[in-house]
Amino acid sequence: MVAMLKCGMSGSQVKVFGKAIQALSRVSDELWLDPSEKGLALRSVNSSRSAYGCILFSPVFFQHYQWSASVKINDKDTTFNLNCKLGMKSILPIFRCPNSLERNVEKCKIFTRSEKCKVVIQFFCRYGIKRTHNICFQESQPLQVIFEKNMCSNTLMIQPRLLAEAVVLFTSNQEEVTLAVTPLNFCLKSSSEESMDLTNSVYSEMFVGPDEFDYFQIGVDTEITFCFKELKGMLTFSEATHAPISIHFDFPGKPLALSIDDMLLEANFILATLADEPSRASSPQSLCLSQKQKRSDVMQSNSKADEKVTSQALECLSRKAAPKRLYPEETSTNISVAANHGSPVMKRTAGDISKVPESGVSDTEEVFRSPYLRKFSCMFFGAVSSDQQEHFNHSLDSLTRASDSDEDMNNGSFSTF
Amino acid sequence: MKFRAKISSKGFIEVFIQLSGTVAKLAKVCVLRVCPDKLCFSSAGSTPVRADRLWCEVGRGALFRQFHMEGVSEELNEIYLELTSEHLFRAVKNARNAASLKLQLTKKRRPCLTVAVELASCTGHTRVVVHDLPVRVLPRILWKDCLKPRVRACDVSVYLPALKTLKSIVEKMANMGDYMLVEANRNGQMNLSIETDTVSIKSYFKNLGNPPESTLATPQNRDQERMVQVWVDKRKLLQFFEGQQINPTMAVCNILSNTLLHLVLVHEDVSIQYSIPAS
Repeated sequence: MVAMLKCGMSGSQVKVFGKAIQALSRVSDELWLDPSEKGLALRSVNSSRSAYGCILFSPVFFQHYQWSASVKINDKDTTFNLNCKLGMKSILPIFRCPNSLERNVEKCKIFTRSEKCKVVIQFFCRYGIKRTHNICFQESQPLQVIFEKNMCSNTLMIQPRLLAEAVVLFTSNQEEVTLAVTPLNFCLKSSSEESMDLTNSVYSEMFVGPDEFDYFQIGVDTEITFCFKELKGMLTFSEATHAPISIHFDFPGKPLALSIDDMLLEANFILATLADEPSRASSPQSLCLSQKQKRSDVMQSNSKADEKVTSQALECLSRKAAPKRLYPEETSTNISVAANHGSPVMKRTAGDISKVPESGVSDTEEVFRSPYLRKFSCMFFGAVSSDQQEHFNHSLDSLTRASDSDEDMNNGSFSTF
Repeated sequence: MKFRAKISSKGFIEVFIQLSGTVAKLAKVCVLRVCPDKLCFSSAGSTPVRADRLWCEVGRGALFRQFHMEGVSEELNEIYLELTSEHLFRAVKNARNAASLKLQLTKKRRPCLTVAVELASCTGHTRVVVHDLPVRVLPRILWKDCLKPRVRACDVSVYLPALKTLKSIVEKMANMGDYMLVEANRNGQMNLSIETDTVSIKSYFKNLGNPPESTLATPQNRDQERMVQVWVDKRKLLQFFEGQQINPTMAVCNILSNTLLHLVLVHEDVSIQYSIPAS
């Protein structure tokens, strides 16, 4: 049996679907179609692994929804999901004007032809017009993020329209934005790291009162910095769904999650945050941002050294030094590697240490060959395989070591997106 | 040195947004001259003779509900600030529905022009967004470069047609060729032409009217019908018209034959002048 997907939507559903693809296109140039019994997940990860988006459409969103995994007959009878990766350049133009699609399209069918590695999208439009698009896909295991958003100390929920209004006023030229919260207020401001270096940059600041939020719970006063572009992408999508946006975060360095949960779909964007805190005395090396640079990455060594290292294009999800056990000796090797290599994302490091075995990771993802990066990535990512039990026992060793109890996936202590 | 001004009316905020949009298009870096009775925006620095020049004036009473300034000293009661025009435009461009727009000279880590936009959100709360625009306070020695340009004698002066019409015609014509010929005569006629190897387009405007001639400005005894011409860079002309949403109470075009095109727009207490030298 071959892995396949087959689903159908109405015109208004196509609009939401198209907007989802547009939002994910702001994360990266590649999109995974990942059907499962939970529904059809659209996933996207940026090249530096600092942003991840996943929009899961439940089966009831569609007019009809069918999927199957392929079964390989071998001694283990392992099943494989449809591993379908599409270029955004191919799929984005098809859903280019979601509003006009809603007006003109009566029905849309999407199905795969695995033997030809093709995804077929058919629009049945008014006046009997039928438009068919065939897109080739690449076989590639999707990435999946494991992030416990319910365990974040800070949770906010706000109507998308309010946040969008606020964001529109905040037109800064800078790519990064800092969110500063206390139990009494919420402030969005230009990232001070960037404005310190650029003598000609504008500093902007905006306060939103806690009473404008549907839910405002701040456990820890904090200031986190992340990439604005991805927030905006999420916002445009949220306006199509009319459900409130939840924001979950903790301290700098720990990723931030933006989520929308309505009955028919669930969207999650996980963004890396800068691990530096402006209030701390920073070493000269930390965060020398040039105007053209995107987010600098900050790697934390173990807590006693407390060094921060910047590397030009190295951007990763990073964690604060506190949970030291997650970063055994290898971090010192990796930091020197990071400092020497311009872009570890693309290069393989010479470092040999990795507690993560190969099997948990897709072979087609070259970036995972870098053991340093894999350490981070596997903290939050795991290749999706239908045999989740086995998968998690292998690739999440680091994660399970970190947690206090030996819980596995099925206990639901970690929510997977 | 102090400066504080506030605009509280929606219509005036719109005018200010449009003005900063015009400045941003025509002068990358501008000088904001704060006087006791007005604000002036101009192209920065000593511009060479051949360069285009912008000069905008906003009377204190025109837009501002509150206006307070204290210059460098009592004798020199003015402030000259140099800033990136795009910064100002970006800070105000989404303030269309704002309840108020406030400008203030502040000193944060360095001198800034702080723009505070106060918006009433859909839930009834007010929200304030603050932008600190970095500015350079110009020393007195540079003030002479930023004075109002002298009005040069021109050969002909004609009222412009409705800006919207003019703008759409210029836009369409600007697709061909790089230079546009602007000509006008004392009979209220103006023509715009553009030419390439394969096509030439000419637009004729009639019955525009001419402003009353001052004896100093123009020589007498000129033929009414004779067209006075100047070739200008079409991009500059286009940029001038882009973003002009509000119809001015007076719009004049002055031409110095084959030398200069001088456009003047006046809307109540706000005036914009733009000189484009011949190409």
